[in-house]
Amino acid sequence: MVTEEKKTELLAKLRNAVIQYDEDTSKEASQEALDVGMDANDAIFNGLVSGMVEVGKMFEAQEYFVPELLMCADALYAGLDILKPHVTQLDLGVKGSVVIGTVEGDVHDIGKNIVKMMFDVAGFTVYDLGRDVPLDKFVAEQLRTDSDLVCLSAMMTTTMTGMKKVIDDLRTKNPHVKIMIGGAPVSQDVADKYGADGYAKDATNALKDAINMIESLKKMKDEVEAKKAK
Amino acid sequence: MKTSLRRELLDHGATVVGFAGLHGYLSGEIAHLDRAVSIGVDRRLNEDTLSLLVKLQKRAARFLKARGHRTLVIPPDSDRKNDTFISKLYSLFNHKMAATSAGLGWIGKNGLLISPEYGPRLSLATVLTDARIRPDVPIERCLCGECVLCVAHCPSKAITGSEWSRSSPFAELVRLGECRSHKKSKRQTAGKPNCGLCINICPYGRKEASTKQQISCKHQAPNNK
Repeated sequence: MVTEEKKTELLAKLRNAVIQYDEDTSKEASQEALDVGMDANDAIFNGLVSGMVEVGKMFEAQEYFVPELLMCADALYAGLDILKPHVTQLDLGVKGSVVIGTVEGDVHDIGKNIVKMMFDVAGFTVYDLGRDVPLDKFVAEQLRTDSDLVCLSAMMTTTMTGMKKVIDDLRTKNPHVKIMIGGAPVSQDVADKYGADGYAKDATNALKDAINMIESLKKMKDEVEAKKAK
Repeated sequence: MKTSLRRELLDHGATVVGFAGLHGYLSGEIAHLDRAVSIGVDRRLNEDTLSLLVKLQKRAARFLKARGHRTLVIPPDSDRKNDTFISKLYSLFNHKMAATSAGLGWIGKNGLLISPEYGPRLSLATVLTDARIRPDVPIERCLCGECVLCVAHCPSKAITGSEWSRSSPFAELVRLGECRSHKKSKRQTAGKPNCGLCINICPYGRKEASTKQQISCKHQAPNNK
């Protein structure tokens, strides 16, 4: 069994590797965590993710800028790739699947990828459609995979309007699905106007919102089934 | 700090090391990292130029980070993995621009970085940083002079013969489409797109060239800095 001291040391190492955007250390510490028999789940959430949360704060405080943020995300993934196969059980309370993509005409997918990373970390099943995705494809993919959540991203005001069409289509085909939108031109107002269930200012918020939404969705489904049973 | 970093990189296999101040040359996302460490490695040294460059970059990044500075490692052009987050930003940056700003050389008529000592035979990598390093003296314009060997020898006649200067960075030096189509047609012999005649022919840094030719070329291309 791994000692408390060693555990604290490794968690700090993982955390710092992400904050210092050091891919090599991230890989090394992740492997070490596995070698000493640490719980992979623990290493991800209290090590890597706790580092990323700190990075998020630094980004908000304008201490870190886009390049640092991206390198930190790369460092997180480097560790995650090693740890993930060893995750036995996630205890976030909910699990869900999500369809995610940047809408047609838009090739800016940095934000989308960071949101995707948060879903990956949290153990969601992610169907990533990539960027410049034809609007119909979101609907088709949601129906094919029966995902709980669809996330749309747009960076430009010109492509943003495409999101409204996707939302309308999804609503007619499948009223239960939850939809989140994000991107530079998007605001709470836009989300309300387009009829989206959620809008996320950044990746961390996106994950919190997503978990809440899926919870409420599961509850709704349960209620419907309970009524049927009666 | 500048001297010790240069020393360290040269000791570990770098051929040339320069420092550039890039204030005003970078796009917004990376503008806060406005000093560049430009590292060049002579391609003829061995087959492992690429891995050597990557190692040198890591060394430079560690050196700067240990002193509390930020770094952004821009990998050599032939070693770009496109599946990472940071790779989206690589296209914002040009190694040759950093190298000329660091005074390592100029952009020759063949569109490549020409170092006075090593010619177009350097492989480049850059580490951006916010450390306040005093920049080296940049080279502002093409010093090829009258030499047109690469223009004459280009098999696809892609080299226009125009001259680069920092004030006209968008002048068309090489018609890229023609260069590329020629390289593709040579795929069968080399296994991958390949040409490189404009590198071989360049008199700068061509040590094994016959003395006679070198003298005549030097005559044509005086280093009139």
